[in-house]
Amino acid sequence: MRAARANCPSRPIVFSLLLALVALVPEVISAAPQKNSNEEWLVLPGDIGRPGGRLVVSLRAEPKTLNPLIATDISSREVIGTMQADLVHIDRATQLTEPALAKSWKISPDGLQYTLVLRRGLKFSDGQPLDAEDVLFTFRLYLEEKVHAPQRDLLILDDKPISLRKVDSQTIVFQLPKTYSVAERLFDGLSILPKHLLEKPYEEGKIAQIGTLTTPANQWAGLGPFRLKEYVAGQRLVLERNPYYWKTDAKGNRLPYLDELVFLFVPSADAQVLRFQSGETDIISRLGAENFSVLSRQPGDYTMVDAGPGLEYNFLFFNLSDPTEKTPSEVPQKQKWFREEKFRQAVSAAIDREAIVRLVYQGRGAPLWGLVTPGNRRWRDEKRPHPPRSLEKARELLKEAGFSRGAASNGDSGLLDSSGKPVEFSLITSSSSAERTKMATLIQDDLKQLGMRVQVVPLEHRSLLDRVTQTKQYDACVLGAVSPDADPNADISVWLSSGGLHLWNPSQAHPATPWEAEIDRLMKEQLYARTFGQRKKLYDRAQEILWEYQPMIFLVSPDILSGARKAVGNFRPAVLEPYVLWNVEQLYFKDDVVKATR
Amino acid sequence: MRRKRAISGWLVLLIALHALVIFAGFFAPYDPTEQDRNNPYLPPMRLHFLDPQGHLHARPFAYSLRLREGSFDQYEENTALTIPLKFFVLGARYHLLGLVPGRWHLWGAEEQRIYLLGTDSYGRDLLSRFLYGGQVSLFAGLSGAGTTLLLGLCVGAMAGYYGGWRDDLLMRLAELFLALPWLYLLLALRAFLPLAVSPRQAFFLIVAILGAVGWARPARLVRGVVLSAKEQDFVRAARGFGATDGYLLRRHILPEASSVVLTQAAILVPQFVLAEMTLSFLGLGVPEPVPSWGNLLSALQQYSVLVSYWWMYLPALIMLPFFLGYLGLGSELQQPQEPYKIGKLTRSLE
Amino acid sequence: MRYLLRRLWHAVFLLIGVSVLAFAFTVLAPGNYFDEMRLNPQIAPETITALRAQYELDRPLPVRYAHWIASLLHGDMGFSFAYNSPVAPLLLVRARNTLLLTVTAMFLAWGIALPLGIWSAERFGHLPDRLLSWATAALLVTPDLALALGLLVIAVKSGRFPTGGMVSLDFERLSLFGKARDLLLHMGLPVVALVLSLLPLLVRHVRAAMAEVLNAPFLLAAEGHGIPRRVRLYRYALPAAANPLISLFGFSVGTLLSGSLLIEVVMSWPGLGPFLLEAILARDLYVVIGGVVLSTLFLVGGNFLADLLLYWADPRIRTETIA
Repeated sequence: MRAARANCPSRPIVFSLLLALVALVPEVISAAPQKNSNEEWLVLPGDIGRPGGRLVVSLRAEPKTLNPLIATDISSREVIGTMQADLVHIDRATQLTEPALAKSWKISPDGLQYTLVLRRGLKFSDGQPLDAEDVLFTFRLYLEEKVHAPQRDLLILDDKPISLRKVDSQTIVFQLPKTYSVAERLFDGLSILPKHLLEKPYEEGKIAQIGTLTTPANQWAGLGPFRLKEYVAGQRLVLERNPYYWKTDAKGNRLPYLDELVFLFVPSADAQVLRFQSGETDIISRLGAENFSVLSRQPGDYTMVDAGPGLEYNFLFFNLSDPTEKTPSEVPQKQKWFREEKFRQAVSAAIDREAIVRLVYQGRGAPLWGLVTPGNRRWRDEKRPHPPRSLEKARELLKEAGFSRGAASNGDSGLLDSSGKPVEFSLITSSSSAERTKMATLIQDDLKQLGMRVQVVPLEHRSLLDRVTQTKQYDACVLGAVSPDADPNADISVWLSSGGLHLWNPSQAHPATPWEAEIDRLMKEQLYARTFGQRKKLYDRAQEILWEYQPMIFLVSPDILSGARKAVGNFRPAVLEPYVLWNVEQLYFKDDVVKATR
Repeated sequence: MRRKRAISGWLVLLIALHALVIFAGFFAPYDPTEQDRNNPYLPPMRLHFLDPQGHLHARPFAYSLRLREGSFDQYEENTALTIPLKFFVLGARYHLLGLVPGRWHLWGAEEQRIYLLGTDSYGRDLLSRFLYGGQVSLFAGLSGAGTTLLLGLCVGAMAGYYGGWRDDLLMRLAELFLALPWLYLLLALRAFLPLAVSPRQAFFLIVAILGAVGWARPARLVRGVVLSAKEQDFVRAARGFGATDGYLLRRHILPEASSVVLTQAAILVPQFVLAEMTLSFLGLGVPEPVPSWGNLLSALQQYSVLVSYWWMYLPALIMLPFFLGYLGLGSELQQPQEPYKIGKLTRSLE
Repeated sequence: MRYLLRRLWHAVFLLIGVSVLAFAFTVLAPGNYFDEMRLNPQIAPETITALRAQYELDRPLPVRYAHWIASLLHGDMGFSFAYNSPVAPLLLVRARNTLLLTVTAMFLAWGIALPLGIWSAERFGHLPDRLLSWATAALLVTPDLALALGLLVIAVKSGRFPTGGMVSLDFERLSLFGKARDLLLHMGLPVVALVLSLLPLLVRHVRAAMAEVLNAPFLLAAEGHGIPRRVRLYRYALPAAANPLISLFGFSVGTLLSGSLLIEVVMSWPGLGPFLLEAILARDLYVVIGGVVLSTLFLVGGNFLADLLLYWADPRIRTETIA
């Protein structure tokens, strides 16, 4: 079958092209890079791989754009991550910053100036050299208001933008308006863009029209390990090796190893599993626990990896926001209970987190008592208590808060508040997440044992978001979020009372409660603190307050589950996004014969 | 004569099946929402009459199941622990028809729990969920199909019989209804409804939505039949004798559409049970933990369930007799009458 | 001819009505495309407001509708928020793929349903007919997604069929024959799934319609004249029973674009299914409206076709209505 295909007459052009590429690769690799003083490559540790091969990965949704200035969806970001590079990068394995395009950075004593020095000899994937001008241009785009880049808000501290200036063609100074702890982490994911391709569209105001999927391959370039080759609408995106990539392995072989990286668009999670199982894709990630155990149970030529809990946290919260004109009249009545700390503590104590881990995630997850998940190794607070489920404690707390069990006016027995009203509320959850609907159903049953009548209301995701963030028409909600980074600053808008993700009562003008004011103070202080020790102490205290007042009742953090063909080398899933392709430049096929001709 | 017997046979079957669902409280061994968290995805227990020693027991029994070492969902029979099947046992409280309270169940087990259809991901008894689920789904499906067909019949008959601008108007309206993005309207509808929708409200919602969305298809089908039926010789003859429009429609034209309507009914009922899945996604269906057939069926859409938990398909399988009952009844009713059409002609001349 | 013009006018009005209502519905539905960004901790609410303004989401409905009509006349059909590009080219390339699948499936389904339904009607009430009833009922209660998944599992176990997609990665390098073979292999499973989901409805209707005419005197007469069975069934009985089937055929044509959405998602067929589903959930409004308008065109066309066929098949209606 394979041999027959190789003899097909219609392919000679492609085939000879491929030959030429293969012939080219050893040459590039054999050139020992460090010899040339004009080129300073980054040397990566890890297994020495062999060049060649085509890696096929599935994506849940089509990427929408290749342009980092407008990409906000996961698929686009995942693809862009393999085509672009940043100045300073967060190593997904160690969760620490490491030099990337910038070979080094210096911080001024006052913490306001970051001086970054670029590697020498860097080239975009179209062969054009990179210098400080590109960096200045890129940040001008990010900061330009008219561009509406999603990165813009990151670069504005205290309403003042970060400014930068060029020292020489290799050196750039970033001037912060205010000290900012670990400002170098900001650079992660900020792709440096080619000025020579973007300047004209920018001046014509067409920046959003470039870097779309239909942009010809020669009009788009980046500094990542792969570059655009072909896009077929609705089907696949094919990337090819960037011959100018700036990393090598320990032996001096130029990375990446792979010739091609193919993203197949497979819109259903189950179909992704089936395609992986049939051998049509080589790597699968973002797996659900049930599919993971199906794959683990059925032997195949693949290895499944459970990387442990990631940075996703699932939580329950009550509507504590101020009633607006749209708020239904019964909500303020219920908020009297929700605002009672003991009520929230009782709910938290009654929830069987172990059962959620077992029944929803088949044991592949960790129960959670705070925002920082066990996957966040540096920031997790070892001293946090992990109290087991206790209905007695919950009942006691409710009693102290004036709730009692009894028969309501309609004759049903249940939990009553101090004025004799039965405690009942609805719990909204996103119907597109089977996991969260399950959690809500378990919680409903848990709270039934306290006499609370909870009604689970699965809503379509956008409708849910609209209720939570806009109309505030809800009682309680089960939601999940993934921290974009292990550093606490990544979640700052969850913590601050003025933040949009302070979901129980978002975007407050003034902190509604003293403890929210205290959290605000602690978080702002850690934002500007200089040492890890100081920051950790402040952050631990904020977590403690969050636990005490339980505005968010944390439930569980699922494991990061993925798998790859046994032939894929250097496959090391991390708990930070992107879970598997973060070291795509190092992935290789152990037996290239099979893949190259497939 | 044979036909009458067949019809009453189907009727008896249907009544028996519906009794199972209506009196689910008595026939189901457990409360359908009760979670047995230590036994998720438990396969159906097999009933035995012979014990390992080869002794025959008059009372059937099952072996309890236990998790295999280090597994989350693989069970094996524990032959040391038997669960005898008991009849007329006391168990979870229920209200028959929502009124009569009771605690007696037709069958069940003492001490240990017995799961003849297995359990779902929460360890809830599938058999109980199936029986209770029918209360909402079956009747919502039936009344939804009834509403749809009634609307469709009226509109289709109007359009086909009167023709002209009324036909144009009604048929364009039908097309409009078929073309609209209902999903968005339903999302909007959801936003205006109160958050908590009780199962009873959900029932009426489902019926109303299905009826409103679905009438356009049967209307077109009926219209087509009416169009040609009204030009039949016997209809013209009857009209010639001065029959009124209402009489003509009732006696001569709509009976012609009966086969189309019955066929549609047989298709719509199961389709509407499935449609409830979509409504659940929009937050308009029967909410968890209340069971419904749509909920039971939607669990089948997962690959892991398909390959690991075959018993989740049993509810779908035992739904079939219900639908086939209606189908059989419809077929019998639809059986062509004696000498075809001549009979109608003579009747209309009487 | 006058009739044709009248139907054309109706179609235009219907399209306007559908698009206006689609606009209204999309405004009524809670949430908008940019809401998802609210959950991104790195994007400030002000940025989201600015984006909404840029895409005119804060403008009144009539203004947006007028702009959309203008864009429709330009052949753009509005602008996709997600893809940052005009809707029409995005839709058309995917609609083509969908049609490839559904047209094949439709002809196959009718090709199977007609003989099967007639065969079953001949044995009305007997065992083979009963068994077929069981089978169709079982298909009716199987959710489309479960059906498609089941087929995929078979594909994985057998290893003979690809588990989704439209062509292999090496498609471009294949010979013409190889390309056709590859495409057919990929179409196999989705077409089977679609046919299976269409069949019960079609078979049921064919069977019911045929059962009604099979005992008619003219068929008895035909039998008496010694006309062979096949000719009796297909030349005499089928046209007499065709009326509801023609309307049904109109629906088949009408749902060519919208009937396969879920199966496409599971089978990763690069058609409208995954595209529209994502757009609906993400509130990519103009994509949704574009999809609705496009499928309305098919619906109108299908019904028109059915009406023409109806008049053609039944001379009595023709004299009545066209005159």
